[in-house]
Amino acid sequence: MKCLLIASESAEVLFHWSDREYRQSIQEKYGVSQEEGEGLPAFEDILSTLFAPIIISCSTLEDSYTSFTTENNHIYVLHQFDECLYIAVNGDGEEKEDDLRRKLYVLKKMVEVMFGMVTLSGNLLRKELRPQDTEQRARLWKYLQSLLDTYSLLRENDQSFLVEAVERLIHPQLCELCIEFLERRLVQQLNSSVERAGEEVLHAFVLVHTKLLAFYSSRNASILTPSDLLALIVMAQNMYPSNVDLDDMSPEVSNGLTSGSGPETFYTPEPSPSSRSSSTGRGETPVFQFVDPEIQMAEDSLHTLEINPPDPASPRRVFLEVLHKDGLYPMMPHSMYCLSLWPGITLVLLTKISSSALAISVYKYLEDFDKLEKRLHEGHGGPASARSPLNMQDIRSKMDKFIKSLEPHDLQLQNVWAEFKSRAFSRAGSGFNKDLIPWCKNMKTQLCGIYRQCFLTDSLSADVTHRLSAGLQERAQAMVREKLVDWKDFLLVKSKRNITMDFPGLVHFICVDRATGQMIAPSLSIAERTTSELGKGPVANYIKNKVWALVRTTRRYLQKGYSTVTLRDGDFYFCYFLWFENETGYKLQPVDIPVLADDSPPIGMLAYDYYSRLLKYYNKNHKGENVKCYELLTVHLGVIPTEIILQHCRQLASKLWEPSRNPLL
Amino acid sequence: MAELKPPDTRRCRYFFLYDGSKVRGEGDPTRDGICYFYPEETPVDKQDLLCGQLAGVGRCVSELSSSAVRILRLRRCKFAIRIKDDFFWALGCSMELPTVSVCELLDHLINLFCFYNGSVRQSYQFNSKETLAAEWARYLSHVLSGPSELHYILQSVRTLDLTNVDPLLLLKAALILQACQRCPLVLAGCVLFRGRVVSTQMPPQLTIKVMVHESETFTKTQRSSGTSTPPSDGGLVSSTAVFLTPSELQYLQSAPVDKISSSYSAPEKDTPPKKTRLSRTLSDTPSSESTPSRPASCQSPQRASFSPCTSGSEDSVFSPAPSQGSSADSPNPSPLSPIRRFSNGGNADQAEEGTLDESHHHSLHSDGGGVSQMPSEGDGSAFEESLHLNGGAASETTDCGNAASRDEKTVCCRKAKGHKAETRQPPSGSCSFDSLEESPLVPMALYVHRVNSLVLALLVDPRFMGDSASMEEVNHSSLASLNGLEAHLRTVSPVAPDAAGAYLFAHYDSIQSTLTTNVSGRPGGVPEHPFVRATSLLHSHFFDTETLQEAIIRNAGTAVYGTRSVAQETYFQQHWGTMRNSGIPNQQDSAFSLPSKARHRLLKHGVKLL
Repeated sequence: MKCLLIASESAEVLFHWSDREYRQSIQEKYGVSQEEGEGLPAFEDILSTLFAPIIISCSTLEDSYTSFTTENNHIYVLHQFDECLYIAVNGDGEEKEDDLRRKLYVLKKMVEVMFGMVTLSGNLLRKELRPQDTEQRARLWKYLQSLLDTYSLLRENDQSFLVEAVERLIHPQLCELCIEFLERRLVQQLNSSVERAGEEVLHAFVLVHTKLLAFYSSRNASILTPSDLLALIVMAQNMYPSNVDLDDMSPEVSNGLTSGSGPETFYTPEPSPSSRSSSTGRGETPVFQFVDPEIQMAEDSLHTLEINPPDPASPRRVFLEVLHKDGLYPMMPHSMYCLSLWPGITLVLLTKISSSALAISVYKYLEDFDKLEKRLHEGHGGPASARSPLNMQDIRSKMDKFIKSLEPHDLQLQNVWAEFKSRAFSRAGSGFNKDLIPWCKNMKTQLCGIYRQCFLTDSLSADVTHRLSAGLQERAQAMVREKLVDWKDFLLVKSKRNITMDFPGLVHFICVDRATGQMIAPSLSIAERTTSELGKGPVANYIKNKVWALVRTTRRYLQKGYSTVTLRDGDFYFCYFLWFENETGYKLQPVDIPVLADDSPPIGMLAYDYYSRLLKYYNKNHKGENVKCYELLTVHLGVIPTEIILQHCRQLASKLWEPSRNPLL
Repeated sequence: MAELKPPDTRRCRYFFLYDGSKVRGEGDPTRDGICYFYPEETPVDKQDLLCGQLAGVGRCVSELSSSAVRILRLRRCKFAIRIKDDFFWALGCSMELPTVSVCELLDHLINLFCFYNGSVRQSYQFNSKETLAAEWARYLSHVLSGPSELHYILQSVRTLDLTNVDPLLLLKAALILQACQRCPLVLAGCVLFRGRVVSTQMPPQLTIKVMVHESETFTKTQRSSGTSTPPSDGGLVSSTAVFLTPSELQYLQSAPVDKISSSYSAPEKDTPPKKTRLSRTLSDTPSSESTPSRPASCQSPQRASFSPCTSGSEDSVFSPAPSQGSSADSPNPSPLSPIRRFSNGGNADQAEEGTLDESHHHSLHSDGGGVSQMPSEGDGSAFEESLHLNGGAASETTDCGNAASRDEKTVCCRKAKGHKAETRQPPSGSCSFDSLEESPLVPMALYVHRVNSLVLALLVDPRFMGDSASMEEVNHSSLASLNGLEAHLRTVSPVAPDAAGAYLFAHYDSIQSTLTTNVSGRPGGVPEHPFVRATSLLHSHFFDTETLQEAIIRNAGTAVYGTRSVAQETYFQQHWGTMRNSGIPNQQDSAFSLPSKARHRLLKHGVKLL
């Protein structure tokens, strides 16, 4: 019983995702109020009708709704992102309010990664999310739905997505070897090839399932933020789902997945002898056989889309944050190439596209017009004008040049700019006052339009000239395969038993370095067949659930400013610590962590980087120091004396991230 | 004193009752449906907007989920919602209050209204909106007049500081109540002094309801007399109509014995909120609590030697208290003797010497017994003995009760089954909502006899007020004792609560709904008190997670320890100069010494932590 939807202010559904139970319950509700014999309208229209009172009420009240709970414990979480209202619903008790809010933010993040600055214009985003062409719409929604499915699956089963930090494969030698190979051989070769068609490989990394084996960034590349890296892992997993955890699940569970699920059918993994196991992934499970005919029809129409999958060599456009010398630029266009080496092992290449300088200009102008709009709103002497003075003449001349340089010329932008100038700068115009606000908005929309045209058009995938050639991609794939072929099986096993522990009474731990966004933890496989540190089956499953609940609990306390939590719960004793160190390992004094509202963005790194903000906040008092932030979660048996437990925690905390950066094994 | 002050707007932002049946047609203005809106000075447009939107969205969500909406959160305000037929109640509080407490406040408010007015629908048929608005305002101000933030989080009956009162006085109060009960038209009663409970025969929820009337008449008499001089020697007698839920009535009618036994198999039907978890755990782990340190949760050890009688009668609903017959017949009540013998009772070993039957009684009872502070019950034979003593009288008054009460167990630890499911669903499982149940309310009368600051409040059959003989009898049997008791209590100087010195604590007895704390409720005190904030979070966490036993949470400045057992929740914070800790795990960290500090420090407040 899960649902998620994005609605415009006029209650138009811009995107929806739901599982079968929820669809059935909604269709039954709708059916009751309808005449017999009439066919049901499209599901999004039913949702729109039923949710309309809520959506409209949201724009009526000054204080906005954040959540509802009913007596049978259905939870509704609402959040307004600009002009779009996001609503998540759970009716099966599997998700709490925090999970739902997180899901909303993750969807928002995914939309940003997919559409970049187009999200800054409500109008354009609406068109982008709900294309007129129904086939196109179905394809887009299906892709977004599958991303959400993949994310949900990872969040429920993968510890790195539980705590939202990247897990590294702990094997220093192999890792080093691999990085060296990526740097000296792969990236160098790719970037010196003529077949790269103006693209430049900035980042290359190898994933073993969701774990990172090696990551290399070229010298002139900006840092890839943990948030973006996590989002890219979700996308890579969506293309090549590892069925490790899926195999562990009972068929009922995988059948219960939403209709939007299924692997990205546009990309077929390279057939290899060992890929037989992968063909039992969730995509092949007969998900729809019990579905009522209406849905079946909808699904059938979707199947037709898969007949002509796009060119497998075409990259996916992603928009990522870039830190330049002169500032931070969010949502800069990149191309993402996801190359499967073997089932479970993937090579990801991120390239800078040739026209990316344009994106920076567009962003700068968008910022300028945004500032201007704020200033006009406040009138003269407002705080915004004091903080960031705007040189409108300078902007004017730059903008003129920018528009001239655009290839091909954009008439609409030219016209709006001319109109803006005549109003703002000429004598006859009204000058810089509130009347100019609509024109500011209009300019922003036009700029977003330019951006959309340059980086988001559908012809992207057909454009063979602007991407690494298929041959080059194949060569890259072959090179890395050759390098890793002897390690392949080892890596796949290692990814399931990454680290072991030898503290009697310690059941589990998770340690996270929040400055780098990395985590380590013993595996928590709940599979019947694979045995993890915790044994297998129900016990491991029980502990897994406890760990998941513990993370939720400690986040709740952290949100309210508590950085140390210990709990005696049933037969277990849980600890959570968050602390700061400087680079030399000196433990820094704690500060009062800000107390946040209940509906504040979720604590994590994927959709909203809470920790980078926390570090910034802490840095205010520690200027010039490179502050690190760590978290440790432990689960002990309750019978262990507290002193021993604390001793374990102490040892774990000091040993796991020793200066060598090589976590202790 | 009966503290009645205007509701704190910081805690309660809005309260309204909206009657959807008045706004059926398209053209009907929203305001026709607004029965009551607080704050009353809110502009009508804003009232319309809030009521219209919230009721509309509430209905929409309820339809979507096929279940009534319970909580509606806005960014700056959270609303507890109740929907019954066309009525829509909403209580909007600040975000700091735990959601479960907001729900409890709203249910309490509605239950209060129903207690004094009967069915809501009928009240609105026979009375004007304005009259009833005054009623809602009354209950709202009462519900929101707690002395400190803590009292909203942990809703409690305000009792006399028992550590400061001669236990014999408490016994005396209990005996007065028992004497009154000899009249068959008297159901149960309580003795209040300056707005605090001295002794009660009613469950906490009912006592709280009765106290509303008391505190109001108290303020009225104070105002009218202008001074604190006693109006007359005979005191003032008044009465008012009240309404009991069938479950409350059943409970009061059942014999003490039945009340005890029934508390262990109470069905979920009549469920005052907090008890649920307790009784479930009680039945699940009957032996876990039968440790020697069980009894005496918030009383001094010195008092414990006498408390058998006093607390027994004070909480006679929960205990096999000496019944009216025996106590009235002998001026020197015999129950005293067994009690004295077991003055250092609560010893599980002693109990196990009893017969199988007794020890069964014991183990059952001792679980609750620890809670209701009755060391004597720690011993099966004491229990048995008092049964013998009271046997005749008990069966006389409640001859019809036995059979009935067995299936209608509405007792102190109400609720046993179905709890597991409910704890998963805090909001819905959390609040008792008796008054809006389908079963009709039963009209009763509340008889109040005031002697200066002392009040005897009795729940009586409506016929009682017309039965001069019965009234005479009750009056006669209690008057002299009341005067005497009042004179004695008056001499007891009210002690200032322990100054919050080196530490802060709050100890909540969830069976008796009593709160012991040294957190001062000074008006204008720091609203964001770190201790209260931590308590609020921990209380919610305890409520949500039934397996959670203890927790330590700390930020840069404070560390707070919380622990709970089946019957109590305790919160403790030690003041340190400055904490020298980076937050990294460290055995020397003072935060981890909190459990032992709490155990040690709270002993002198009569709080024994395991």
